[in-house]
Amino acid sequence: MIEEQRVIDFHGHTGRLDLYNGVDDPDLILGAMDKVGIDVSCVFNIFHPDGTTGNDITARFVAEHPDRFVGFAYVSPMMAEGMVAELTRAIDELGLVAIKLYPPYTQWDLNEPIWHPIYEFANERGLAIIFHTGSDPHSHPGLLADCAAKFPNANFVSGHAGNVAEPRAAAIRAAQEYPNIYLETCSTFRTPGVIEQLVNEAGADRVLFGSDIALMDSRPQLGKIITADISDEAKRLVCGGNAARLLGI
Amino acid sequence: MSTQFTFRPRVPVFDANVRVGDLHYQPSPCRNREQLLAEMDRHGVDRALIYHAQTEEVSPIDGNGFLEEWLDSSRLFPQWSITPTPDSLAQVQGLHEEGRVHSVRLHNARKVGLPFRPWACGTMLSWLSEHRIPLWIPLPDADADELAMTLSAFPELVTVLVGAHYSHALWVRPLMTAVPNAYLELSRIEPLGEVEALCEEFGAERFVYGSWYDRLAMGTMLFYLHHTDISESELELICAGNLHRILQGEGRHD
Repeated sequence: MIEEQRVIDFHGHTGRLDLYNGVDDPDLILGAMDKVGIDVSCVFNIFHPDGTTGNDITARFVAEHPDRFVGFAYVSPMMAEGMVAELTRAIDELGLVAIKLYPPYTQWDLNEPIWHPIYEFANERGLAIIFHTGSDPHSHPGLLADCAAKFPNANFVSGHAGNVAEPRAAAIRAAQEYPNIYLETCSTFRTPGVIEQLVNEAGADRVLFGSDIALMDSRPQLGKIITADISDEAKRLVCGGNAARLLGI
Repeated sequence: MSTQFTFRPRVPVFDANVRVGDLHYQPSPCRNREQLLAEMDRHGVDRALIYHAQTEEVSPIDGNGFLEEWLDSSRLFPQWSITPTPDSLAQVQGLHEEGRVHSVRLHNARKVGLPFRPWACGTMLSWLSEHRIPLWIPLPDADADELAMTLSAFPELVTVLVGAHYSHALWVRPLMTAVPNAYLELSRIEPLGEVEALCEEFGAERFVYGSWYDRLAMGTMLFYLHHTDISESELELICAGNLHRILQGEGRHD
């Protein structure tokens, strides 16, 4: 909690990424969250194309601290035949509340038809979907506009807000055009002025704080929101108000 | 310390890593010294060690010249760039004779195939070591094996390793162990819990705060350092004390 504002981190990982010393140690994660007043972190596991393996890992992780973590479901069109069944299981049986997708692990642009069963599922239930977005063709955030138009009841979140200048500008344009597109802030680039750009150009009500924990510590990623040259009211929305509204938590 | 929506550092801050001026592909958000000082004021930064962007990819010699207009005797201190060529070394030696060299920064010559090896850099490294001038080395341009082997051959040389990222996570500990006179600048240290873990393993006296503005936003890592388990005295060392000591030529651990 920061000044009575509940803080929600919209982007976190379960599992180990030892190459980068990214380990989902709950004590370390909670320690970092507690140091800066993060109440809840959203977590998902993107390392298993069947969805099932990673979603079970996420559900077990969340179950250890259900008041501090919420889980998102992951599926992949690399195993397209089971996507909807796994989403149904993950949401209805495991209690996961939104969806994470990672187009760079696939050979398809994020607006291609193979992804559409996922979007139809989210559209029927009014769920949020967070994508890795960036400069690679499959995950370019400009493609989200196409999805947002076709599936207006789903909410599409541009993870990393495109990460670098050109895709970030495309993400902002898409958010300006469609009310069901949001921009999430975590990025190792931490370019000066980016948080200000997202808030000023897309609107404070469309920006979500995220950290990429446990790949990255959540404290510096929150720090770039706190030290940005934006109003306190904008910080409240970015740090938690928007996420609470989007996830219904 | 409870988190607020407004953050100010509670210890003196001397930023070890600030870039000024334009890259050929990226104009700087600060157009002059006054704008940079205003940005530092906004984040509560007292002093900064600055180098010019032109030294990164174009010319350390020209870039050092462009740095002059940014200097401020009370808050903005020069970090001259250097590369192992006779012209570059002569320029820095001339500045040294004027009493103006307290640290230098390695220009990336590896991208044109000149490795960081004693046969290529030995003259420069010997001179720096002899004159107790610390060398800043940007890790994004570096090779871990070259650093460990070459710096081991110059044990008196004090170095500051700049910009370690999570992609360097497997390097940092063995390199800090292999090179005892190396300090680590913290602008990109983002692995989970890493600041506390590194301080516990190596001691806070091995670390310096740098923002790497304007490559990165200025206040982020300061906020992070103020929300860790390190002690107040360790925070003071990292945010200013260690850098002050290094620039005084007192950086060796022997």
